[in-house]
Formats: sequence, C-alpha cells, structure tokens
Amino acid sequence: MLLELNNIFKWVTQGGNRIFLLKDINLQVEEGEFISIMGPSGSGKSTLLNVIGMLDNFQEGEYNFLNESVHSMKEKNRSKLYKEYVGFVFQAYHLIDELTVYENIETPLLYKNVKSSERKALVADMLDRFNIVGKKELFPSQLSGGQQQLVGIARALIAKPKLILADEPTGNLNSKQSEEIMQLFKELNKEGVTIIQATHSETNAAYGSRTLHLLDGSKNHI
Amino acid sequence: MFRNYIKIALRNLWKDRTFTALNIVGLTAAFGVAFLLSMYALFELSYDKFHKNIGSIYEVYTNEQTNKGIESSESNPIPFAGALKEEVPGVEKITRYLTGAPLLTYKGKTFRVGSSWADPEFFEIFSFPIIEGDAKNPITDKNSIALTSTMAATIFGKETPLGKSITIQRGGEEVLVTVTAIVDKIPAASRINFGAILNIKNLPDGFYKENLDRWDSHNHTVFMKLAKGISPIQFEKSTKNFSSLHFADEIASAKRDGAQPNADGNYRQIKLLPVEDQSFIVIKNGLLTVNKTLQYIVLGIAFIILFIASVNFINMSLAKSAQRLREIGMRKTLGAGKTQLFFQFWGESILVFVVAVVFGGLFAFALLKPFQTLFDTKASFISISNPLIIIGAILCVLLITLTAGGYPALLMSRLGTLQALKGKLEVSGKNRIRNILMVIQFSIAIILISGTLVLWQQLDFLKNKDLGFNKQQVIAFPINTKQDHNNVLQLLRNEFDNNPDILSVTAADNILGLGRDGSNMRSVLGFDYKDRELSTNMLWVDYDYPETLDIELLKGRTFNRNYAGDSLSVLINEAMAKELAEEDPLNARFLLADSIQYTVIGVVKDFNFEELNKGVEPITFFMDGNSPMRYAYVKVAPNNLSQTYEAVKKVWNKIEPDTEFLGSFLDENIDRTLMKERTMTTMISSGSILAIILSCIGLFAISLLVVSQRQKEIGIRKVVGASVATITILLTKDFLKLVGISFVIATPIAWYATSQWLQDYVYRIDLNIWIFVAAGAIALIIAVLTISFRTIQAALKNPVESLKTE
Repeated sequence: MLLELNNIFKWVTQGGNRIFLLKDINLQVEEGEFISIMGPSGSGKSTLLNVIGMLDNFQEGEYNFLNESVHSMKEKNRSKLYKEYVGFVFQAYHLIDELTVYENIETPLLYKNVKSSERKALVADMLDRFNIVGKKELFPSQLSGGQQQLVGIARALIAKPKLILADEPTGNLNSKQSEEIMQLFKELNKEGVTIIQATHSETNAAYGSRTLHLLDGSKNHI
Repeated sequence: MFRNYIKIALRNLWKDRTFTALNIVGLTAAFGVAFLLSMYALFELSYDKFHKNIGSIYEVYTNEQTNKGIESSESNPIPFAGALKEEVPGVEKITRYLTGAPLLTYKGKTFRVGSSWADPEFFEIFSFPIIEGDAKNPITDKNSIALTSTMAATIFGKETPLGKSITIQRGGEEVLVTVTAIVDKIPAASRINFGAILNIKNLPDGFYKENLDRWDSHNHTVFMKLAKGISPIQFEKSTKNFSSLHFADEIASAKRDGAQPNADGNYRQIKLLPVEDQSFIVIKNGLLTVNKTLQYIVLGIAFIILFIASVNFINMSLAKSAQRLREIGMRKTLGAGKTQLFFQFWGESILVFVVAVVFGGLFAFALLKPFQTLFDTKASFISISNPLIIIGAILCVLLITLTAGGYPALLMSRLGTLQALKGKLEVSGKNRIRNILMVIQFSIAIILISGTLVLWQQLDFLKNKDLGFNKQQVIAFPINTKQDHNNVLQLLRNEFDNNPDILSVTAADNILGLGRDGSNMRSVLGFDYKDRELSTNMLWVDYDYPETLDIELLKGRTFNRNYAGDSLSVLINEAMAKELAEEDPLNARFLLADSIQYTVIGVVKDFNFEELNKGVEPITFFMDGNSPMRYAYVKVAPNNLSQTYEAVKKVWNKIEPDTEFLGSFLDENIDRTLMKERTMTTMISSGSILAIILSCIGLFAISLLVVSQRQKEIGIRKVVGASVATITILLTKDFLKLVGISFVIATPIAWYATSQWLQDYVYRIDLNIWIFVAAGAIALIIAVLTISFRTIQAALKNPVESLKTE
C-alpha cells in the first residue's frame, strides 16, 4: 500500500459556520495505480491533491504514506517525505521563468543534493526521453504550452518519485497536446509510477485505472 | 547549488533592472558618503590616541571660583609643575609646554617655524620617537633644539642636521642653538604639533627666568603622567593643600570679592583632563568641558544615510516579493527548505550590497581630495586604517547587509507553500512595516532639513551680525618682520599716505577674528581696584585704532598725538566701565602690576573682539608706543576693494620683500572663526540633501510598484468614470499621509535638537515655527513631485490597456 486516507475532514470557518472542503474522505492507493479524481469546480479536487501531496493540512483524520503517519509528522519531516517520493504537475506548469528548460528540470536534484556529474546524466536522460534536447537552453516563455507541460512533467519525474500528483495537467492545453500528455502518463504508469490526476475531462479520466468522483468535498462513489 | 543561486540572482537582478539600478545607485551614494563621513569622524575621534602612555597622560588645569562663577584656566605659573611633582604624590612625569612661531636662521635663510618649548620629560610622557641623535635627552640643554624630520629637510636640505648650529629669534633676541635630535614625522592625528622643540629654559628671561618664583604669572600648559595605581579623582583631591599653600593670595582675593567655594569648600581645584580629550575642549560659561557632539553627529549622519538607503532596499525587496511568490511556492514543492530559500534571497541582496560597497568605496576614494579640502581635515583611508576600525567597518557592512537583505529574505522564505503558489499574501501586515519605515525615513529627512535651515540662518546671522566694528572695509595683516615693528609701521604709514583709497591706518598687538597666519592670542590681566579684583583683556594699540575700525566712542576721547601723556592713558569698553562701577568712568585711575598708574580717557562701545560664542568681555586699550605692534589695520575706501587690497600688498612687498603678505579683510577673518559652524552646516546640509534624495528614490520605487499593482483598479475606476485628477489624488494620498505623520514626529525632535545647539551661542537666532513648516513643505513638495511622476502617467493611461494586461 502506497498511501491511505482515513476519515479526512478539512474545513474553513466563515461567519461562524464550518464550510467543509473535504468531508470524510477515505482512500487507499496501491503502488502502480492510475487514479483520476473528477468533480465540478469547487468540489475539492485540488484540495485533496494538496493534502495527498502534503502541501496542505487537514483538521481531522489519518493519513499514512508508506506506513508513516503524515498527520502526526513535523513540517520538516513531511517536506523531506514529499521531496523524496512525490512529484507535482500543475495546470499552469509553474516553471520558474528565470531558469532555462535544463535548469528547471535540474532544480529538484539541487534540493536533494545530488552530485553534479550525476545530475548532468539524469537531466540528459530526461531531455532525451522527452525529445526536448534541442530546447534545453530555452526559457519557459519561449515554449508552447504543451512543451512547457512536458518540461513540468520531466521536472516532476527527475527525482524518481513513487507518486505523481497532476492537478488538471491538460487544463491549459489544446486537445492534441492533451492527448500526448495523457499518453505519456499512461506510459509512465506502465513503468510503475503511481499517478493521481484531477481532471474535468471524461476522456482524460478514462486513461486512469479507476475514477474518484467528488462533490462538495465528499466522495460520491468509486 | 551555489552557481545556480548566483545565476538566478543575476537573472533576477537583470530582469528588474530599474529597481536594481535604483538600489545600487542609492546604496553606492550612501556607502560612499558614509565612508567619507565616518572617516572624518573616526579620524577626529582618534586624535592623540597614538601615545603609548595614553590613559595616564593628563593636561593639568584649574577651576577657579570667582565672584562671577567658576572659570577654568589652562595656563600655569612657571614654578607650578616642579612644585606639583615634588609636593603631591602621583606625578610620575611632568612637563611644561608652550608653543610659538620663532624665526630660525641657517646660512642666511630664515624660516618661521611652529615650535614648542618643553621640559626634557616631554619625550618620556609623549610618544614622539627620535630617529636620529640623542634619543634619551634631546632637549636637556638650554641651547639644544630637536627638529622633526620634515622641518630638518626644509632647513638643511641634504646636509646632515645633527650638531649644526642655527639662530633662533624670539622676543627680540637672537640665540644660537644646536640640533641634537631628529624627531620622526608627527602623526596626522596629533594635537601637539611642532617643527622644532626646545627646552623651556631657552625662552627669553622676561618669560622664564624672571618668573621662576612667581606664582601669579600664568603663561603655559602643563602635561603630566599619572603614576600607576592612582586615579585622577584621587589625585585631584590630594592637591587641596598644594593649592591653598601656593595660591593663598588668589584665594584671599576671591574670598574678598565674594566668590563662593565649590562643593568641597575649595576656591581653587586642580583638575586633570585626559590628553586625548584636548581636541574637544569647549569653554562653556567659563568652564572647561569636553564636547564630542560634532563628531558623533557626523558619525550619526553616516549611519542615518545608510539606514535610509537600506530601508529603500528592504521596501523594494518586500514590494517585489509579491512578484516572486510563485517561484517561492514552486521551489517549496520541489523540496526547497526554508534555509535554502533564505540563502537564495539573501545571496541576491549580498550581490547588490557587494557591488554597492565596492562602488561606494571607489566613489569615496574619488571624492577624498575635495572632501579633505572642504572640511580642512587630514582624514584619509590610511589615517584610520587600524585593524580594529577595519574589522569594525567590515562587521558594520555585514550587519547592514544581514538586516537589510536578510529581513525580506526571511519573510519570503517563511511563506506557506500553497499560499505562495496561489500568489496570495497578507498584504496589510507587510504594508505596515513599509509605512513605518517610510515614516522614519521622512522624519529623518525633515529633521535634517530643519537642522540645515536653522544652521544656515544661524551662520548667516553670525556672519552678518553687527560686531561693533567695520569688518567690510578693513584689511588686517601680520607685521612679520625681523626689522623693528614700529619702524615698519612708520614706513607703511608713509607709503599709505599717498594713496587716496586708504582712509586710515592703525596697528595692534592682536588680530580680530582669525587671520591667514592662523594665529590668535588672548592676554588677560587681573588687578585690584578699590579692594576688588577686576580682570580685563589687554590690547596694545597704535593711534587711530577706534577710528580705523569704526568703533564708536561713547565718552571722552581717543589716543591723540597731541597729548604727550597718552602712554599712561587707557581706553576701555562699556563692559569694563561696568566692572569699574564708577558713576563717571572717565578719569578713573588704576594701578597695574608695576605700580604704574593708568587713567581712563575714553569709553568705547562694546565690540566683539573674541569668537562669537562668547559675549563681550571687558577690554582695555593701552598705547605705550613701545610694545611691538604685530598686526596692521588699514581702512580702505568702499569702492575698488580688491584693487586697494593689491595696492596694500604691493606696499608690504616693497617694505618687506622676504615675507609673504598675509592680509585679509576682517569679514574673511570672522568667517574663518566660524569654521566649525561651516563644517557642521556643510555636513548636515549635504547629509540632508542625500537623505531626501535617497528617500525619494525609495518613494519613487514604491510608487512604481503600487501603481503597477493597482493597474487593474485604475483601469476599472476610469471605465466607471473617474477623472485623471481623482485617480492621481487617490494614488498620492496614502503617501502624503505618511509625510504628514513624519512631519508631526520630526518637528518636536528637530525643535529640541536645534534649540539645544543654539544654547551654545551667546548670539543666536530665535527659533521660528516657519523654519519647521518650511522643512515639512520642502519634504512634501519633493515627495509629491516624485510620486506624481508615475501616478499621473498611470492615471492618463487608456483603461483598455491596463485592463488587458491583467
């Protein structure tokens, strides 16, 4: 078991009322799964992904990641954990504008204190694999949306995570680019990477091995 | 990792080049000026600290109780030093010390040399190393002289000076002295300075020998080295019997005149002044005090300027951090820790600061020469380059970089990951800090501007004050000659008679203000008059003194060539007349030292013959026709002042071709006495100009950022129908509020500080609220101009454009 959420509640208090962002979520994810989370805007897809990615806290419930209990962990250990095992892909790519393609992909390795020679090899592999060797010296603003997202995924993969969290990865892309990206996810999944994606699109959701429907913070059905 | 940081830093700095440039320009100017100012202050504060015995060397002075309050006296009678060493325990070494400017002649060439006379122990107290000759007792012999290496080179050129004889002329006699030692070059930060030093016994008999047993003739300074284990206060206490034994007469007359004893019941108290405080002596109400305010103000201004520039940096970094939120969030999801982010942002700051410090250093270096000239200081990088100061400076720069760069870095690295990713920021708290910092900035600017205005007014007031004599039309010059002074004076008179532009000529033994020869003296005489002790300044004058200087005669007559007995007549001023307390001061008679009776023949109006931080003291003019007249005064016609000056110079050069003409108009002399005020005015006004420029750079940058952040709002408001004016007001209002708050905070502080400063002046301007209002208005106008530059532009912009950019 890769991770396990038990009775997760997350809320904000507004005008004395609790507004639930996540309500009694239970989820078990095995290694090698490809899960799609669906639901309308505001249903809590992103919040759930952020909780799984340990970027966000929750008020109640238990969260175990690789048999470690995340809910009782200190911030520092938590960031160590996600640095090691989780890669993020965002709708808006979130590449660092001031860095080239090469440097963007390299950044996670820097924070993991990987040696320079090893870094070079890893980044070169990744550039090769995504067919963007020719673009390595370009800055994000010089790339198309699809290419930027490719770099985003490459960056998420460089640290060899067990889990990829993708929040609407194709939200800013046209249908052709979307298909390429989803195809890529499928291949990655075949190679053993666990993927959880949030999406609006039924077509994209269909790439997953199972789909989770959210409505107002609670799971409708699986 | 490190390379990556540098790369990002450089790219970021380049991307925001406007702000980078503003920051670097501001910080460079601030560091440059701060280097110069602190160099000046530290140099001044380092005076006399190079002596090895520092901490145990003191100047001996006396606080005397008089019927007018306490008065400090720094001069002592000839037998004083020897007796003190013998009778009071604790004196390890003691020397008498006196300066003058005698003429030295060697092989027909004559030099006027700033010289000192001292006891041989001088060299054991102070650290002036002897590099050649008798290192142990260089001036033991009455006819020995020690020269500094610089002076030896001037006099002897390439000859060996040791053992050579030179003639020294002082007080009308010529004596042969032998060079026994060469003293190393005197450090720049030394208050004691001489080209030649001689044994005190070498002084003319009238000065030294005849006073050997006289305790009532004070004519020199005394320095001593205190023995180990005795505190200066202990020592001062133990001199009680010494004073009452040797100064019994003085104490008796003080008692008789109604002086009150001090807290310990003494009428005279010998005091010790640490020798390193000599440069900071200020006589306040007669009492000697040590005042280092100017130096600390200058040091303070240096730090204030750095502070203002750092505030700009902090404010700009904080405001810009909004644009980097996404990067921060992203880095966090990629696994960046707080420390890593902190160091990344701090590194960027350090880069800017390093550039600014280097440029600032170069800037200071380039400005050093004009700076030294402007402030008449020998301060330089070398003069303050001792390890302690260098380490201190490096620490200071590091500390400033750490706080100015570290604070925004700390705030940014502490942001929550998600919050940062979403680009949300709690704006209110951050703006409060920004606003507080800007209020401090503007308060400082307003304080400095008010200070400048007050200083200018006071300086102007002192410059233009009616001093009671004609300073515009009178040229004064020292009669520097080896010939008989009075002969020279007669020759001058004869020559000047032919020039219609020269209205009147006179002479005196002292100068008014400070002449180009930089010398000034004060002679005070105490005497008994009708069973009271009076004291008066003394001035020996030639005929026509009040006439030439336009000093108004109130009563009686002035010295007249037709009265033969005028050598026993005196003129007094109003203050002296008041001291005499006679109904009719005319014909008052008093006996002076050698029981010669002088008669008052006239009273002149009070005039300021001393520095302007002093009131007018009693003064008496004597005219015996024998005393050497050291300065000539020439009153010239008001037209062609500079031409007549040249004519006077020509006449002097004709009579005395070997000596330089050092004449100047009296108003220039008065200006020279205001050197301290001028230095302070220049420093504070340049500080305030820089402060306001830096504050404006900061304000400008912040207005740029605020406008860009509110672009959408401006667009919407315009679409809804707001006019250019209302939008400009909307954008400017917030900043003006800050200037307003600054004004309220700054004015009382500025008022208090300037009124305290003015207390030091007997003649001073009245503080006027309008000065402070003007300072506030200046700050406000400059601020409005700075902000409106960008806000009006933003308000004029087509709303479609600003909405599109969102």
